[in-house]
This record gives sequence, C-alpha cells and structure tokens, in this order.
Amino acid sequence: MGSVLTRDVLVKWAPLLVLIVLILFFAAMEPRFFSVRNFARIGISSAPALMVAIGVTFIIIMGSIDLSMEGTVSVCAVVFAFAFIAMGGTLASFAWLALPLALLVGAAVGLLNGLVHVKLKIPSFMASLAMGFVGTGFALLLTGGDRIRVEDDLFRGLLTTRWFNFPIMCYVAVAFLLIAWFIQTRTTLGRNFYAVGGGEDLAHASGLNVNKVRILGFTLAGVFYAVGALLAVGRIGIAETATGSNFMFVSITSVVVGGTALWGGIGGVWNTLIGVLIVNVINNGMVVIGLPGYVQDGVLGVLVIAAVVLSTDRKSVTFVK
Amino acid sequence: MSFERIKPHLPWITLLALVAIVGIADANFLRPANLIAMAADIVPLFIMALGMTFAIYIGGIDLSAQSVANMTTVVATVTLPLFGVGAALVCILSGFVLGAVSGYVTTKLLVPSFISTLAIGGVAFSAAQYLSGQRALFMDAELRDATFGWMTGSSFGIPHEIFIGAFLVLVTWFLQTRTTFGRALKAVGAGEPAAVAAGLDVAKIKIMAFAVSGLLAAVAGLLFSVKLSGGSPTLANGFLLPAIVAVLVGGTPLTGGVGGVINTLIGTLIVAVIRSSMLYFEVDATKQQMVFGLVLIAAIALTIDRTKLRIVK
Repeated sequence: MGSVLTRDVLVKWAPLLVLIVLILFFAAMEPRFFSVRNFARIGISSAPALMVAIGVTFIIIMGSIDLSMEGTVSVCAVVFAFAFIAMGGTLASFAWLALPLALLVGAAVGLLNGLVHVKLKIPSFMASLAMGFVGTGFALLLTGGDRIRVEDDLFRGLLTTRWFNFPIMCYVAVAFLLIAWFIQTRTTLGRNFYAVGGGEDLAHASGLNVNKVRILGFTLAGVFYAVGALLAVGRIGIAETATGSNFMFVSITSVVVGGTALWGGIGGVWNTLIGVLIVNVINNGMVVIGLPGYVQDGVLGVLVIAAVVLSTDRKSVTFVK
Repeated sequence: MSFERIKPHLPWITLLALVAIVGIADANFLRPANLIAMAADIVPLFIMALGMTFAIYIGGIDLSAQSVANMTTVVATVTLPLFGVGAALVCILSGFVLGAVSGYVTTKLLVPSFISTLAIGGVAFSAAQYLSGQRALFMDAELRDATFGWMTGSSFGIPHEIFIGAFLVLVTWFLQTRTTFGRALKAVGAGEPAAVAAGLDVAKIKIMAFAVSGLLAAVAGLLFSVKLSGGSPTLANGFLLPAIVAVLVGGTPLTGGVGGVINTLIGTLIVAVIRSSMLYFEVDATKQQMVFGLVLIAAIALTIDRTKLRIVK
C-alpha cells in the first residue's frame, strides 16, 4: 500500500473523495439532502459558478490568475439585458442575437485583461483585479444602479423548463463543460496552456509564443464568464451591477479546492467540476442541516488554504510572496 | 534627465500638479477649511493604506484589509458597552491576530499572499456576520462620546482625525526607518533570497509585516465606526481599491523594497484630491471606481520594478 498511496495519487483523488464524504455526511445528517429535488437545487446554484470557474481554470493552469470575473460578469449581464430588451425582449425575435453579443463582449473584456497583463507587464493578479474594478464601475455606469428585468418566458425557460427534474441551465452548463474539455485536451491552445504552466522557460525555448497563449487564455476565460453571466441572469431574471458579486471568491475557491494547482500545469476542467460541486454541496448542505449561512465564507476560506497547502510540493517552492 | 531619475519624485509632483489644476478650476478648493475637511475625511482610508504599505513593501499584498476593517466596526460596536475604552484594545488585537495568521499561512504554509489574505478575509467576513447577527448596529451616542469622543472632536480648528493620522504616520515612519525591524523589512523587500542568505529570520519579519497591516486595518475600522457611530459587516466596503491605489500611486511598487509610509501619505492625498476634483468637475460618482481602477493600472505600470520579475505571471 505504501508505494501505491503516494502524495501524487492522494492529491489527484482527494477532491473526489472529499465530495463523496461531504455528500454522505450531509445525507446522514438530514435525509432530505439526498433527494432529486435538492440535487436540482445544487445544480442550479452550481451552473453559473461552474462556467466562471472553468474560465479561470485555463488561466490558473497557465500559472497566472484572473480576479476580474466580478466585473466581467456584471458587464456581460448588463450589456446582454439592454441588448435583449432593445431588440424585442423575447428569444422568438431577433433578440436572440443578444446571446452571441454577450459572448463577444466577454471575449473583448478578456482580451483587454490579457493585453493589460502582457503588454504592460503587470502581474496578472493585480492587472485583473484592477480591470475587475473597472468592469464593475462600467456596469454601474451603464445601469446607473438600476436593475434590469429580463422576463421573457423562453429565456427564463433556462430555469423553469425541466428535463428529467433538472432545469435546462444544468444541461447548458454540461454542454459548455464538454466544450471546455475538448479545448483542454484536443486543441493546440489547450495543450499550450499546460506547456506555459509547466515551465514557461521551456515553453519559450521550444518556440512557443507565450504572450499570445496568455492573451488568448484571458480571451477564452472572458467567453466563459459571459456564459456564466447569461446563466446567472437566467436564474434570477435580473441583470444588475451586483450580478457578478461573490463570483471571485467562489470561483477561485472552487478551482483550487478541485485540485488545480496555483503553480500551474496541473489539473483541468473536471477538477473544477468537482471543486464547484464541493463548494455548492457545502453551501447547500449547511443550510439544509440548519447551520446559519454566514459560516460559509469562513469555511470556504479555511478550505482554500487547506487545498493550496495540500497541492503544494514543498520541495520545489523556495519562497512565496 | 532620464525618467529613472525623475521617477522617485513623481508622486509629489503629481500631487502639486493636481492641486494646482483643481485650484485653478475652482479657487474654493484651496480654502484652508476645505483642505482640512478633505484631509480629515480621508484619515480612515489613510490608516488602512499605511498598513497595506507594509504588506506591499515586502512584495506581498493584503486583500483582507477591507474585511478586517468591516469586522472591526462590528467588534467595536459590540464591545463598547462591555469594555469601554478596552473595546479599542479588542479591535486592535483582533486585527493584529488576523494579520499574523495571514502572514503565517503565507510564509509557513507557502500560500501566495493574495490567496491567503482573500481566504482570511472570508473568515473575517463570517466573524463579522456572526457578531452582528447580520444587521447594522448602532453605538449608544452618549457612551460613544464619553469613550471615543476625543477621536472626532477638533482643537484649534483642526479635526482630531488629522492628529491621529499624523501620530500614526510618525510611529510607522519611526518603525520603518529607525528600528531593526524596519531595516529588515527593507532587506526582505529588496531581495528575499539575499535576506535569507544574510541570516535574517525572514518568516518572522514577513509575519510581522502582515500583522501590522491587519492591526492598522483594524484601527481604520475602529475610527470609521466611531465616525459613523455604528458597525456592520459591509460598512467599510469600497476601501480596498483606493487603499491599494494610495500605496501604489505614492510610489511603493508592487515588487516592494522602495517607497514607504511617507510615499503612502502623498499617495493618499493624491487619492483625496482626485476624489474631490471629481466633485468640482462634476464627474458622476458612479465613474469613480472606473477612474481609480485605471489610475491603479497606470500607477503599477509606471512603478513596478521589472528586473525583479523575470517572468510576469
């Protein structure tokens, strides 16, 4: 056993194990937790978070970080809502064009993030944090602090129409998860993410245009944030400046808890799925067993520290800032 | 004259230029009463920025400052009837401990500071919500005036906040320039491997730097809560961005090692002038966040020491 149960194996399977233990724990505490109805609830809260977390997964695989998601999600949500209503306000009209428009806006914001980070040579955490503030400010500027209601029945069908007890938004999220998986494993760009994260010197020396990969990575992340924004609007039927709030903490926590190492090169979108489920099972489970909601941020904080500690190979890290 | 020679002087030149521009646009801005009121208003933010300076000076960042200040507004309001002046001590201690934990997690558990402080910020937010019962709390006016009234009064026409700010900048300046701890901070910020090789206990110094940051964030929260006579888990929201901007605009780069608390004093004044100039030029308040975000990017791009970052991640 000793040789099989190495640190690598443990790190690889620990997130899934944690998820299973959590589900069993909450199910034992409160049988109502283990019901299709409750799983659908977890699915609904996970779907937007999963999209945002997948976006940042690509960035973290490269060894960078993106903290701009709150601003990007808000901007995409607000632009989508304005365009959707201006073009007819129902999916049955030309207003469906607002969907691809939102994705384009996400890509543009992501591209801008990447350019600020790469061209101005600012560390990504700070460049993206600053851009996130700019994004939230821009969303506030567009809305003037108002909430925009999106009440089209067809669009709200994301939440209200259910196939096999799960709303459509869950299936949309799974579809984009598969797309992300395809990008990660079957495209040059996806492999280049790992090359950059595994060792930038080496990637650069083998002739890879590292800067281009970085900028494309941030652009791709922006597209996934936009999908997250659409699902978030579909879920509550409102687009506002606060649509993006809390996504930063939750998505970073999910990615890291899922087992994608902050140092880059390790992990992927399936890890992120597990991470998002862990976070949402905890959030849901604590409410179901009657714990107050405010414990969540503290628990997630402790969890994220534990996950980073577990995934850090102490021999290869000399000092951190 | 090369840009590198002018660079250290850019912050105060920027400040004077901004004051001159706003002063020309509206002479009312330069009235002493207006300038004093502006300075007094910015003091809580200044104190948080002072603490942030220590975290950035060693090449880290403290993203928990806002949550710690938030938590302190609640702690101050809850403990005031119990301990009187002792409430201040509880606040300062809790800030110090949270900062030290961030520092420990960063240095001993090797978690990058932007993640560790984000996580500790989550813990502080939970604590604030628990203590406040998720409500906005109010201080008893009489009790507040009897215990902390001295913080918000004014003598010789100068609000006491300014004295508090001046006192803290003197203390931190002394700490930075006249103590071994200050020298050690400089060594760590300038080049951590060299500091390790020189035999410094780098971990201890870094933990202390984060602890000071947490402590000052707590003091900022305490002062803010006395000013507004209450506390809530979101009272100090909106402090984080301008605090980071103040440090970086002042000339302490994200890579650490140069700059310091006097730079942050200038940086905070720049933030204050930008804020009030928005009023004078009738820029919508909703645009403030965008403007500060862009100023932040410009400040980092200008100040960062790229020789220290072989690879920019």
